[in-house]
Amino acid sequence: MSGSTALRLAAADNVATALCDLEAGEVVELEGQSVTLLERIPLCHKLALADLEPGTAILKYGQPIGRTTAAIKAGAHVHVHNMRSARAEATGGQ
Amino acid sequence: MRPFLGFRRASGRPGVRNHTLILSVTGLTTPAARRIARSLNGVTVLGTQHDSGLLGHDRKVHRGALAAFACHPNVGGVVVIGANEPVVEMVAGAAASAGRLVEAITLDACGHDVLTLSDKALRAAAGFVHRLSCQRREELPAADLLLGLECGRSDPSSGLVANPLVGAVVDRLVDAGGAAIFGETTEWIGAEEPLMRKARDATVAERLKAAAARRESMAQAAGIDLTGNNPSQTNIEAGLSSIEEKSLGAIAKAGSRPIQGVIGYGEAPPGPGVWAMDAPAYAPESLTGFSTAGSSMALFTTGVGNSYVSALMPTLKLTGNPATARRVTQQLEFEASAVFTGEESLDAAADRMVDRLLEIASGALTWGEILGEGDEAISRFGAVL
Repeated sequence: MSGSTALRLAAADNVATALCDLEAGEVVELEGQSVTLLERIPLCHKLALADLEPGTAILKYGQPIGRTTAAIKAGAHVHVHNMRSARAEATGGQ
Repeated sequence: MRPFLGFRRASGRPGVRNHTLILSVTGLTTPAARRIARSLNGVTVLGTQHDSGLLGHDRKVHRGALAAFACHPNVGGVVVIGANEPVVEMVAGAAASAGRLVEAITLDACGHDVLTLSDKALRAAAGFVHRLSCQRREELPAADLLLGLECGRSDPSSGLVANPLVGAVVDRLVDAGGAAIFGETTEWIGAEEPLMRKARDATVAERLKAAAARRESMAQAAGIDLTGNNPSQTNIEAGLSSIEEKSLGAIAKAGSRPIQGVIGYGEAPPGPGVWAMDAPAYAPESLTGFSTAGSSMALFTTGVGNSYVSALMPTLKLTGNPATARRVTQQLEFEASAVFTGEESLDAAADRMVDRLLEIASGALTWGEILGEGDEAISRFGAVL
C-alpha cells in the first residue's frame, strides 16, 4: 500500500475518508478503484466513491451512517449538506 | 495467534503480571495502605474511599469489586487491610478460595493502632514479594486472554484508525479463542442497529437496545440531550455527519465478531468472544469495570493523548494521530501513524499490534506501569447514608 490519501474502512463502503486536505481535481487511489475529486475534501471528511441517488444509505464501517438527501456524484464531498442521520430523522432531531 | 508467557493460577484465568497487592477495603485505612506501599519495592496499592453508608446496588458492586481486585488474575498475593472486620474477612476469603497468597489484618486486631497495622502488613507483604519473585512464567495460549477496550481523549483519528485497528486485533484474538469486553454505553446510542445485527441472538439484541435506551433516558432525566446536538458543531467541523457515524467510530473497537451477551458493571463474561458491558464511559470507572471483570489487559485508544491506566491490567495505549505519536512518546505502546498517512494497511498494523500485545502480556512494561499512572475507581450508582 503506497501512500493512499483516503481510507475506505470496509469493502462495502460507498464513501472514503480523506487522510489529508484534498483539492478538486486530485485523483484518490484506493485498492481497485480511483476517483477524481469534484471539490475540496478537508482532512477526515468523506468523499463519495460512486454516484449516489437521493435516499441512498451511506455506508462507512460497512454500516449505514445516514441517507443521501440529494444526488451525489462520485468524487463529491459527503456531509451534513447532502446526507442526514436516519436516527435523528426517526427521533425528530437534527 | 502465538502463545504468551504468563503465570498459571490454581484456579481461573492466568495472569500477565504477578502483583503483590496492598488492598485497603475501607476508607479509614487507605492512607495506611499507601504508607505500606511506599516502604516496599515491587508492590501495588489499591484502596477505597468508602465503606459504611453505601447502600443497595452500590454496596453490592463496591464489595464485589474489592473482592475482584483481590482475586484478579494479575494478583499473586494480597494483604487485605481494613477497619471493618466482616468486609476484610469476605475479601480475604475470596482471595484464599482463588488460591492467592493472602493475609488479612484489621484495625480491630491491632488495638486500633495504625502503626501496628502498618508493621504487620509490611512484614506480610515483604514475604509475599519474596515468594512471588520465585514464580516463573510459562507458555500459555492466547485464548486465555481477556481484553478490556477503552477510548479516551478521542479525536477524528480515533474512529478512523485506532478504534478500527483495535477491532481488527479483537477479531484475531476472538478467532484464536480469546475474549474481549467493550463498555461505554453512551457510545452505543446511534449505533443500536449495527450492534443488534452483531448480537448472537434476539435476546442479546434487545438487551443492547434497552441498555442504550436506559442510558439515553438517564441523560434526559439529568437535562442532557445526547442525540439532538450530537454530533456537536466541533464534530461536524471535524467531518462527522451523523450520530451513527460517531458511535460506529467508537464501537469499531469491538471488531466484527458476534456479541455474546450484555454483562453488568464489573461482571465477568461467562465465556469467550465479544461481550458488551453496560457501564459508564469515564475511563477510570470504565477500566475498573473491565479489571473487576477479570480482564488481563486493556487496549486504550487516544486521539490527543491520555495518561491514565489501570493499576491491575497493563494498559496498551495507542493512537492513529501522527502529531500525538510524535508528542507523547513516553505514553504510547503502539502507534499507527502509517495507517493514517496511507503507508500501512489496517491489517498489517493489526498484525504488528498483536505482536506488541503478546510482548506486553509476556512481561514487557507499559509506560503507565513504569510511570505509576495506574489506579482503580469503582463506579457509584446512587445515594449514600
